[in-house]
Amino acid sequence: MKRDMLTGNAAAAWGVRLAEVDYVPAYPITPQTEIIETLAKWISDGMMDARFVSMDSEHSMITAAGAASATGARTFTATSSQGLLYGFEMIYTVAGWRVPLVMVNVSRGLSSPLTLEPDHNDIFAIRDSGFLQIHCETCQEVLDSIILAYRLAEDEQVLLPVMVNMDGFYLSFTREPVEIPDPEEVREFLPPYRPKHAFFMASRPMAQGVAVLGGSAYSYFKYQMHLASLKALEVYGEICAEFEKKFHRGYGPVEGYMLEDAEYALVMAGSFSTLGKKAVKRARDRGIRAGLLKLRLLRPFPEAYIRRALEGKRAVSVLDQNISVGKGGILYSEVASCLFNSKKKPVLLSFIGGLGGKNISPQEFEFIFEKMIEAFEGGPSGPHLLYTEKEWDDISILKRTAEKEGDA
Amino acid sequence: MLSLRVHGRGGQGVKVASRILGTAAFLEGFYVQDFPLYGAERRGAPIAAFVHISEDPIMERGVISDPDMVVVMDETLLQDAGAKPLSGLRTNGVVLINTSRTPEEVTADHGVEAQVVTLDMTKMSLTMLGESILSTPAGSAAAGIVGIGEEYLKEAAERVLAGILSEGEGLDENVKLALSVFRAVTPLDIKTVEAPPEASPVIIVSFEPAQISSPTINALGNSPLRRTGNWRVFRPVWNHKVCTKCMACLARCPDGCISLDEEGFPCVDYENCKGCLICVRACPAEGIEKVREAQVL
Repeated sequence: MKRDMLTGNAAAAWGVRLAEVDYVPAYPITPQTEIIETLAKWISDGMMDARFVSMDSEHSMITAAGAASATGARTFTATSSQGLLYGFEMIYTVAGWRVPLVMVNVSRGLSSPLTLEPDHNDIFAIRDSGFLQIHCETCQEVLDSIILAYRLAEDEQVLLPVMVNMDGFYLSFTREPVEIPDPEEVREFLPPYRPKHAFFMASRPMAQGVAVLGGSAYSYFKYQMHLASLKALEVYGEICAEFEKKFHRGYGPVEGYMLEDAEYALVMAGSFSTLGKKAVKRARDRGIRAGLLKLRLLRPFPEAYIRRALEGKRAVSVLDQNISVGKGGILYSEVASCLFNSKKKPVLLSFIGGLGGKNISPQEFEFIFEKMIEAFEGGPSGPHLLYTEKEWDDISILKRTAEKEGDA
Repeated sequence: MLSLRVHGRGGQGVKVASRILGTAAFLEGFYVQDFPLYGAERRGAPIAAFVHISEDPIMERGVISDPDMVVVMDETLLQDAGAKPLSGLRTNGVVLINTSRTPEEVTADHGVEAQVVTLDMTKMSLTMLGESILSTPAGSAAAGIVGIGEEYLKEAAERVLAGILSEGEGLDENVKLALSVFRAVTPLDIKTVEAPPEASPVIIVSFEPAQISSPTINALGNSPLRRTGNWRVFRPVWNHKVCTKCMACLARCPDGCISLDEEGFPCVDYENCKGCLICVRACPAEGIEKVREAQVL
C-alpha cells in the first residue's frame, strides 16, 4: 500500500490498473480524458498488460466494450456528459446483454447551454437502463469503487454492468491523498474473471442479445434484470464487508453523517456531500440537530436503508444536483416514494442546487435548515432552487450584455 | 487550515506550481487538497489554482473565494478586471508577487492591503534555466513562505516535475532553481481573520419568457471588444535599424496584429497582440526583441 496525491481521474486509472483489465476502448471528452490518457500511457509503457483502442465515437466505444465483455475479457471504458448521451442507445443494449462491464462517468452538465462543470443529469439519463450506479464523494472512493464494481458486476448472481460516477472538476481535477492498495491484495479480493455465464468463444458459437417479439418474452428478460439489480444490493453488502476487512475502508449503500440523533437531515450524493457535511457541523454549532444521508448506491436504489435512516426525523431535505425539467429533483421523487407508506415519515422538502457546478454557499445551506424547521412547524414549502441575489445580479448583467429584450 | 490561491496565465504553470506546494505539504504529513480551475483552455488567459493545507481532514470542495495567501505569478494580472487576484483575501493575508519591484512600490501602485512579498522569479528562472519557467519558482516560494520543510519541497519538486519533463530533461536544474527560490524567502506566520461570508440571500427565481430566458446572444459583433493584449507576458519590439522590411513577421502573425506603418516598417496592435512571439522567431534579421511586459508598465 502506498499513499499519494491523486486527482479523481488518476484514482480512477489506478482502480482500473489494479483491477488488471484486459481491454480499454476509449474516446476522449472533458473532463474524463485524463483517465484514458493515463491508461494509454501505462499500457504503452508496459505497466499494464491490456489492449487500448481509440474508437471513432462513444457509440462504437460502448458497443466494443460490451462486446469484449461478452467474450469474458475484463473491460473498462469511461465517458462524460455529451459522450454518454452519444452512446446512449448502446447503454441499454449492453445492459441487456448481462455483461460485467465497468464504466466511469465523470459528471458534466448537459447542453444546452453548453458547460464543462458538473451536475447529475448525465448519469441520471441512464438511470433506468440496468447499469448499476455508484456515486463517489472522494478520490479514494473512486479508486475503491472501481475495484468493488468489478466484483459486483462479475458476481454470478448479478451480471449487470456498473457505472461509477464522479463529479467533473470537483473530483476529476482535484487532488487529495489517496491510498493505493497493494496489487497482490487486490488480486486476492478480485481474482481474474472466469465467466461461467454464456460468453463468446471461437469453439462455441452463440447468439446474444436476440430479438423477441411478443411482450411476454420481453417482460421476462426485463424483469429478470430488475431482480438481478435488487440481488446486487445483497451482494454489494457482502462484498463491502469483505473489502472492509481487507482494506479497512467501509462503504455502505448509504452513509450517515451525524445522522443517528439528528432531527433535520440533508440527503445528498456525490462530491458536494462534503460541503453538506460541513454545513451539518455548522448547523450543530448553532444548536440545530442536523445530519446528512449520503446516497452511494443509486441503482439498485437502497430503499430499506433510506427508510431506516430517515424515519422519525422531523424534516428531511433532498438536495438534488439535477433537474427533471417539468418535475423537479429526481432524487426527491425517489426518496419520497420509499417513505410514502411509512407511519414515521418526516416532512420532505426538495431543493435543487449545484447545477452546472454552481457552488452551494454556507448561506444556501442555512436557508435549507431554516426551511426545514419552518416545515416541521407549519408544513413543507418549495421546491426551491438554491440561487442567491448576487447570482441574479450576475445573470442580469449577462442578459444586458447579450441585449436580451425586456430585461430592465 | 491554510487556503491559498495561485494566479497566473495559461502556459505559465499555475497548476504545476499548486501541485509542487500541495505535494510538499502532503509529504510533510498534512491533509491537502489542490485543484486547478480552467475552462476552455488557452495560453495567456488568466488561470487560477487552489490549495488547502490542514492538520485535519479537509471538508471543502471547489474554488477558494477567501484565501489566506495569494500567489501572483504574473504582475500584469494585478490590473486585470477579470482575474481580480486579490479579491476576497483575508485581513492580515499574504500576497506573493513575481516582480522586479519592491513590496513598497507594489503596495503603493495597487493599494494592496496585505503583507506583500515580492520576488523576481522570472529573472531567477532566466538566469538559472535560460528561460522563463514560473511553475517551479512559484510553488517553491509559496512553500517557503508557508514554512514547509526543505526536504519535502525538494522531493515534491522532483516528483511533480519528473511527471511532466520528458525523459526527466532539465530536472536537476529545475530542482536547483526550486531550492534557491525556496531559500530566498522567509517563512511567515500567517494568521488571518476569517471574513464574514458575503451575505447574499436566497431568492425565488421567477418565470421569464424564452425571448429572455434562452441562451442566445442578440448583441452582434462584440467579440472585437474583448481585447487580448493583456494576455501578454512578453511583448515583441521592433528594431528599425535591423529590420529589412521583409514582412516575414507580418505573414506569420497568427492573429493579424501586425501591419505596416507609413515607412513600411512593421508595427503591432498591442491592444490585441497575445505575445506568442512567433514573430520574434520568424524574423530572419533577428530584429525583434522580446521585452518583459512588467518592464513596460
